[in-house]
Formats: sequence, C-alpha cells, structure tokens
Amino acid sequence: MSLKNKLNRLKPHLSSGVTHQERQGVIEKAQQSESFDLDIPYKEIWESENVKPYILDNEYCLVREVKYPLTYKHGHYFFAEAIEAVRQWNEVNFDHPLSASGHTPGDLFFFDTETTGLGGGAGNTIFLLGYASLREDSVVLKQHILPQPGAEVALYQSFLEEIDYTTLVTYNGKAFDWPQVKTRHTLVRNHVPKLPSFGHFDLYHAARRMWKHKIERMKLSMVEKEILGFERQDDIPGFLAPMIYFDFVERKHPEGLLGVMKHNELDILSLITLYTHLSFQLLGVDNNRSVRETFEVGRWYSYLGDRQKAEENFAQIADGNETDAILAKHALAFEYKRNGNYKSAVNLWKETAKYGNHDIRIEAYIELAKYYEHKSKDYQQALTSCEEAVSQLIEVENEKKVARLQKDLQKRKNRLLSKLNRQ
Amino acid sequence: MKFISNMQDVIQQLKLDDTIKENIIHWQTIEPKSANTSDIPTDIHPLLKQAMVKRGIGELYTHQRTAYETAKNGMSFVAVTPTASGKTLCYNLPVLQGIMNDPNSRALYLFPTKALAQDQKSEINEFIQESGLNINSYTYDGDTPANIRQKVRKAGHVVITNPDMLHSAILPHHTKWVSLFENLKFVVIDELHIYRGVFGSHVANVIRRLKRICEYYGSNPVFICTSATIANPLELAEHLTETKMVLIDNNGAPSGRKHFLFYNPPIVNKPLNIRRSATLETRWLAGEFLKNKIQTIVFARSRVRVEILLTYLQELVKHKLGTKAIRGYRGGYLPTERREIEKGLRTGDIYGVVSTNALELGVDIGQLQVCIMNGYPGTIASAWQQAGRAGRRHGESVVIMVASSSPLDQYIIQHPDYFFTRSPETARINPDNLIILIDHLKCAAYELPFKAGERFGKTEVEEILDYLTEERILHQNGDKWYWMHDAFPAHNISLRSASQENVVIIDQSDVANARVIGEMDTFSALTLLHDEAIYLHQGRQFQVEKLDWEEKKAFVREVTVDYFTDANLAVQLNVLEEDKHRNLEQVEIGYGDVSVRAMATIFKKIKFETHENIGSGPIHLPEVELHTSSSWISLDKDHSKLSDKRLEQGLIGTAQSLKHIIPLFVMCDPQDVHVVPQVKASHNEKPTIFFYDRYPGGIGLSEKVYEGMDAILSETKSMVERCQCQSGCPSCIGSENTSDTGKVDVIKMIDLFLQSK
Repeated sequence: MSLKNKLNRLKPHLSSGVTHQERQGVIEKAQQSESFDLDIPYKEIWESENVKPYILDNEYCLVREVKYPLTYKHGHYFFAEAIEAVRQWNEVNFDHPLSASGHTPGDLFFFDTETTGLGGGAGNTIFLLGYASLREDSVVLKQHILPQPGAEVALYQSFLEEIDYTTLVTYNGKAFDWPQVKTRHTLVRNHVPKLPSFGHFDLYHAARRMWKHKIERMKLSMVEKEILGFERQDDIPGFLAPMIYFDFVERKHPEGLLGVMKHNELDILSLITLYTHLSFQLLGVDNNRSVRETFEVGRWYSYLGDRQKAEENFAQIADGNETDAILAKHALAFEYKRNGNYKSAVNLWKETAKYGNHDIRIEAYIELAKYYEHKSKDYQQALTSCEEAVSQLIEVENEKKVARLQKDLQKRKNRLLSKLNRQ
Repeated sequence: MKFISNMQDVIQQLKLDDTIKENIIHWQTIEPKSANTSDIPTDIHPLLKQAMVKRGIGELYTHQRTAYETAKNGMSFVAVTPTASGKTLCYNLPVLQGIMNDPNSRALYLFPTKALAQDQKSEINEFIQESGLNINSYTYDGDTPANIRQKVRKAGHVVITNPDMLHSAILPHHTKWVSLFENLKFVVIDELHIYRGVFGSHVANVIRRLKRICEYYGSNPVFICTSATIANPLELAEHLTETKMVLIDNNGAPSGRKHFLFYNPPIVNKPLNIRRSATLETRWLAGEFLKNKIQTIVFARSRVRVEILLTYLQELVKHKLGTKAIRGYRGGYLPTERREIEKGLRTGDIYGVVSTNALELGVDIGQLQVCIMNGYPGTIASAWQQAGRAGRRHGESVVIMVASSSPLDQYIIQHPDYFFTRSPETARINPDNLIILIDHLKCAAYELPFKAGERFGKTEVEEILDYLTEERILHQNGDKWYWMHDAFPAHNISLRSASQENVVIIDQSDVANARVIGEMDTFSALTLLHDEAIYLHQGRQFQVEKLDWEEKKAFVREVTVDYFTDANLAVQLNVLEEDKHRNLEQVEIGYGDVSVRAMATIFKKIKFETHENIGSGPIHLPEVELHTSSSWISLDKDHSKLSDKRLEQGLIGTAQSLKHIIPLFVMCDPQDVHVVPQVKASHNEKPTIFFYDRYPGGIGLSEKVYEGMDAILSETKSMVERCQCQSGCPSCIGSENTSDTGKVDVIKMIDLFLQSK
C-alpha cells in the first residue's frame, strides 16, 4: 500500500494537536524562492513602511525603524513626560522596584515580542522583536522581523548588535518574552553575540497591584482602555498573530503582518505611557490619582517596608467615612502602630471599628483590645473590645475563619479575666 | 488449615491438607542457588568502594562485574536480571564511577513509573551519601516543585525521570537543559521489558528524539538497559535504542528456595467440565494465609477482579486485622493512594495486597512470603515477574498459580513442562507505526528543524515531512523543515494509552464535595463506564449515573449491590487494503488494513457468587471507529459441508479458542489482539476469522499472527482436543455453543483451515 494512501486513511487518528483554522482562507501557495538572492518579495511595500533588510551572509531579516517626537501624546501622556518621570525618580530620596534612579531615560528598553505559539518550548519561534527607547528629542521604535524560519541568525545578530541598554521594561516579560528569547537564542548561540544581562521592570505585576480591584483580566489592552486613556481601533488580537505569520511565510505578502506589527508597536508605546503613569502614581505627583489608587500605592510601600511613604500615602486619603477612606485609615493605623505612634493608631481604630465593614471592625477591635491590654493596661476596656469583636463574628461567612477568631478571642478573654481577677 | 506461623509450617500444611493437596497438580521446587562473585574492580574510587562495603557489598556478582567493565569500555549493554539480583548496581556503579572520572558527566535514568523513580532516587542517594561524594541526583517529574526544577536542569549529575516526562517536559524544552545534553554520558533504561507494544513503540520514538537532541549538543551517550527475563532482550534493546548492544546474562546472584504450585480448582460439573471458580479458590487460599498473618500478594488479571477479590478478603479479615490491612493496587488509583500502599507494605502495616500487574514492576515493597495468582497472568515472563514478588530477598517462599477454566489457563496448568522449560515470550515493538511515528515526528520537528536527508532513527521520513508540510504543520524552507504551528505537539500525545483522551471518573456521592477518583481510556470506558455500569474502586461499588461522552466525564455514586455489570461490544469489520496474501487450495490468509467499527450494545447484571444473569439494559453510546492492521483467514464455504447454523457456531467456537491461545504466541495482553468471526466477510463473502490490533495503525501483533498462523491453529486444535469435556465447554470453545457437535465442528473447522484433511 502506498504511504500516501495510508496517511490519508489514518487521517482521523492524526488530527491531534492540529487545529485546522489556518486552512480557511489560505490562498494559493506562493512560489518558493530557491535561493537567497535577496530578491525580497514585495520590496516596495516594505520600503513604504520604513522596513529595510539586514543582510548577513546568505540570510536576511527585516528591520523597521520609526521615530515619534516627544510631543506625541499616547493616551493621557506625552512621551516627554516619560523623560520627566525618569528625572523625578532621580531626584527623590526614596526607593522603589520601578524606580529609574541611577538611570538616564536612554537606559530603558521598552520591549515586546510576537511568537508563533503560546507558552514556552523550543519550537515556539519569535518572529518579531520590537522595542522602543527614549532619546533626547524623540522616541525611536525598532522592529526586527523574521522573514522566514531559518533566518534567526540574521534576526538575533541584527537585534543584539544594537542594544546597549540596561533595563528591560515589559508586560509579563519575566515569565514569557525574555525566557523565550533565551530559548531561541540558545539555538543560534554559536553564531551570534551573547545575550546581555538586564535589569527588568515587569509592568504586568505592577498593574496587578494597582488595579486588581477594578480590572479582572489584566490584559494590556484593558489597562489602556481603563487606565491609560487609549483605545485601539481595528487592532489584531494577539492570538491571531501565529496564523497571520504562517500565512505570511507562505504568501510573503506583508499586509497581514503589517497589522501584527502595528499591534506590537502599540503594545510598546503603551509600555512607555504605562511606565510614565505608574511612576507618577508612585511618585505621588499624579493629581488625578484616585483614593483607591493612593491606597494601593500606600500598601505597596508598606509591603516594601517603607514606613514613611506608606504613612504619607495613607494619611492623604484618611479623611471622611467613605469606604476607601476607612480602608486607608485602617491601614494607616497599622503604620502608626509600627512606628510606635500608638495614640494616633488608637484614634483611627476607634473610627474604623465604627464605620468599617465587619472584617475591618473585627480587626480594629482586636487591635484596640491588644492596646488596652498591653499598653494602657485597662483590662476592662480590653475585655469590652474583645466582646465587640465577638459580636461581629456572626457576619463572617468563612467558617474556618470564624472558628479561628473565636478560639483566639476566647483565649484573650480568658487571659484578661484572670488578669482582672488578680487585680 | 490449622494455625501456622512460619513458612515451614505453610509448606507442610500445603503438602498434608487434604482439601488442598488433591488440587495441586504440580509442585515444582526451585532449589536455592548460591552466589557467583568476582572482586570489586581495582579502579573503583576508594570512597565508592567504602560505601559499598558499608552496605555489606564486599564483592560483585559476576553480572555486575561484566556490566561495569562493558560500560567502562564505552559499550552499551542490556543486562537480564531476575528480581532481587542487585540490578541497580549494574548501572549505579559505572555511572557514579564515570562521574568521579569526569565531574561534568551527566546521566539520565528512565523508569517506567514515577513510583520506581522515587524508589531508585532513595537508593542512589543513600549510596552517594555513604560515599560522601559530591554528586547530585534528583527526580524530575510532575511532582518536582518549580523552585528546584532549575537546579535539577543545571546541576543534576543524575536526573531520574520517566519516558512521559522526557517526552512532554524535557525534550520540548531542551534549551533549558543544555548542560545535561552537552555532557550526557549514560542513559539508563530500567525495566526494559515493559517497553513493548504501543508503549514501547512510543518510547522507541522518544529515544530517537533524545538521540537527535544529544547529537545536536554533541554528546553520544552509552545506553544501559536492564530487563526481566524475556525471549529477546538483546533484540528489544537494540530495536528500542537503535544502538548496538552487548547482552549480559551471567547472573551471579543467589536465590532462596521457591515452591511453585499449580493449583487446579476441582470440577463441580463433570458433563460441562465446569470447575469451581478460580476467584473463589483464590479468595479462600489467600484468606487462610492472611488469617495467619502471612504477608501475601494476590495478582488478578483485571481491575474488576482486583476489586471483587478485595471486597471478599476485606470482609473476611475485617475483625482480625481491620480492612486497612488488605489493600488494592491498580492503575486507576491516584498516585498518593498508591504511594501510601507501597509504604504500608514495606513497613508491614499492610498484610495483604490485591494487585493487577501494576506491582509486577520493581517497586520495592519488601519481602512477601506468599504469592497467589488468580489465573495465569497471560505470559510466562509476567508469571515469573509476579512470582518474584514472593521471597525476593532469599528465604523460602510459596507461589500458587490458581487456574481459571479459561483454555489458556487449563493448557498451561496441564503442561507444567511447557511453562517451566519454554523460553518466555518475545517482546515486540513497531516504532514505525505510522500514527506513532507521525506523532513523534511532529514533536521532533518542534524540537529542532529537520534537514534534507536526515533520518529519524533508522527510518527515512522525507515523505512524511512532505505530508506534514502539505497539512501546514511544517514549513519547508531551503533544505530544512521547520515547525510552523501554534500547538505544543507533545501535550496531545500520550505514550500510554491507545486513545488519546481519558474519561475522568467523578464521585458525586457527596454532592457538595464531588471529587475525581480515577480515570480510564475511552475504549475501555465504552464497556466499563456506560450509564448504570457498576464501577469498583478500592473495593467500593459505584454506579455510573451519567457518562458524559462529549466532555469525557463519568459521574458515579457509591452504592451497595450484589452484582457487577458486563457489557457486549458489537463489531463491524471492513478490509480496506490487502498487503500480504497466501492462497491455498480452499483457504486464503491475508494481512492488511481494516476499519473496525465498535459499538457497545447491551450490558448484563451478573450476581456475585452464583454468576447468574439477573438483568440487562441497553447502552446508548456512539460508534467508535478504528483503523488498524489485521490478519484474517477465510474458507471456501462449500468446502465445509456444514449447515449454516453449524458453520456459524463452529466459527464462533474457533474464534473463542483462538483468542485464548494467541497471547501465548504474541507477547501481549489478551485484549491487545481482538479475534472476530464473520460468517460472510464483506470483502470476500467467505467465512472468515479476523485478528486485529487494538491500537490505531497496528503495532505488529496481527502481522505476527499472519506469519505464525499454522502454528497457532495446530496449537489451538490440540488444546481443544485435550480438553476433558465431551461436546465443548467454556474452557475450550466458549459457552455460546450448546449443540452436541460443538466441539467436533470446531476441530473440523480448524482442520479445514489447516487443510490437513
């Protein structure tokens, strides 16, 4: 039996791992060019898009370069403001993982890739390496494009030749883009320069800290829309990029790929705006910062152990009895406690014990009980606070939590009672 | 049985007890064998030698010494080692010494299961610790925490894993394992004999991929295999690794005295030749031992049998030992459950275990005194592996094989010579099964592009690469083929199961707390997890409330009933293309591709003790189609001179008896080759019997049937003739034929096929 017949017969069993979406709409297969005579298909279209070939031995890759003036506004910010953000980081006397202190604007490397598949693995090819950097008078955006599989030496050579930056700025690049660059680089490592080591600002994790309360899936496009004041028109969704690239590899016509490149370009520009916005939030110079955002900034500093910045941020919003203000007061009280400022802490807890939700009320009463027991030695007051806390337990739904709190509070009450007896 | 306390008493009792001894139709005593040793080689590192002495190893067994010398000379080998012969030293010694000579060297250990890998990690780590050498060995499997994975990749001298993990987690991410692949000196494949059939064919391809990646990174490892006794260890090892091998079979390890008993349950119905149920006899025997706290392992052939025996035995000793002292062990259990059982056996908290062949492998469960097989396990190799479970570290032990009334069992038990002198079965793989090959070609192309002229192992693949290019999975550019798809191919390819999707079994007895208790391949699910089926798990009965075929989920609820269910599968067969053909005068024998359409039709409810049929119901599940290879034998109808009725009955009976003999000739589980009779086959309109591989595309089993047709037929004939029944019984031609001429017709039919009269 011929192999071909057999293959066709077994087709139903062979379908695993292969979706056939890409077959739809595929047009006649383009004539395969036999040699690398650098007869680049559709050269004129590429040229009109500022794309030039980069030639290495018998291979080439494509490089696009565009410039944006600093007066260009992407979302709520001008690119000039990104430079301002770096300047301010260099002037303040506190630190933060996203601080550009010690860097010039040109050190930052806003980076994003497009790949032929999802997830990691040796066979997932990066076909587009895009990045932007801040210059004195402009933003320069470059995209290195793999014209067909097998041209990766040229791709990585052209890419690595030019980069002399110190810090990557990405969106989820720690988990995805950069490991994938390392993977693909390993496959050509004997032919191209080594990968430099970088610092890395991964803005995805920053965005999650700041806006988890209002955005469920923290996709960059959602952050743009909800936070950065930028909405995309006719954007190609990222998940279609592999199909479009496969089609490009067959037909060589750039039209689909130009859409993917546009998508990648917007991702990178948004990284600049996102970094600017996050910096201004963290620096405390954004006048439009919401109460909740201020609260999250305070929490972040608190998590980092910067008591002063945490206190400062909480204090800004601890005014009034709005939900967010109560949250801030409660968090601020903990900062005061850590700084040994018990009096201010107790005043705030007295408020949050009255106006907070049940979780906050319980915590506040417990903190008050601790204060009365160990600091002011007013055991009767402490006991009353404990009982207040117990009376709130009925509102808690998580049964394990109720049990734990009940046990803790009972222990505290017993101890207080025996202390009272001894008095 | 009286109270017994040690093995001497056990043996005495078995010899004297009337109810037992008359059923023992063969008693083979395998005499103890003394050790055959050799000095520890002088070039072994002093610290390694010291660690060996600390563990009580003053010299090497001859086979260990040969293994060491062979590996040292850079030659790959396969060592054939019975249970408890110190096989781990055959690879640990050359590997550790190799790492001492060159600290950059790396070794990859492959074990067929996670449990075995864990076991071996403890063993090698103890050894390393005692030597005080700076060698890192780690397991790498699904349970390895993310934070130490990086360390394993970069710094593990010895990486211990399983083929599935190599296939789906290591090879596709080879760029993260550069230091392993650049320095890989040894690949150890333990339990080689497990890699046969579908699983072996997959693993052979995984090894092709491994070798391809090694070549890319510039390494050329030595392969070290160990195998239980099979007929063709060298051939299998060379086929699996496509590497020239040396065979090491000079076993120098001692063994204790072993009593191997063939037990045939008494006949309860003479005219029908019906014996007492083997399961009942097994239950009784095991119960006697367990009541006297003799650690006993019981092997049963199917999951269902395991569960039935477990229910019986737990009930029996409930008051004396507690139900926890006897446990089940089989594939469908979750890993944590299995680990717990293995530990209990080692510590002695568990007295008895009822297992499928899952425990044939070298999982260290310590020393069991008695092994009972509920029925012949299907292959000689398998029987010896199971027997090795009793008394694996010296001392006297007893193995009892309880024959069922199946013809194969009766054949074996009445021919002890056959069992004790015949060489064990041959293990076969077919790495070039198109379906398996293509699956792994995809994975390989994902890992590294293919170059023109490159072979995959020894196989030429350009035609298939072109096919995959047409299918838009690969892209050809210049003289290379590149992966051009957004999928991660290894994720959809399972090395273990014929079908690629499993049905998960969800217990919803407690509605608020539904949980997954196991899984099963879709083909088995057709007959075991249909609506209303009784599914047994750890001796508990569950009824399937709903099988969601689309979503591959079976929802079950715990019940207590006194029956189990048994489903019928209706099969349609069409010959698509004939590859081989032998035409005799009145008979034609063929081999080629067939399409099999199977549909579960009805199920029966069968009462536990009496095996009465107490009800039935329809099964509504879609037809499952399978394209596979098959051989067949057809007869000219007129030639038979039998009435249509007798012809049909004769064919069914012949198929029944063939079904039992085939696993003897083709080392496989009985369900791997299906035997289907057709009165009028659609391709030649002749009375025909088909033998087809259960795996899509076939794995070479039915081709072996084609080649060995005459031998299989004559062996089947003599089995039927020798059966003591008068006109056919379940032991020879099955139970569906009730006419007086059943047996004669089958013999006549086989004669016709054989053209001997």
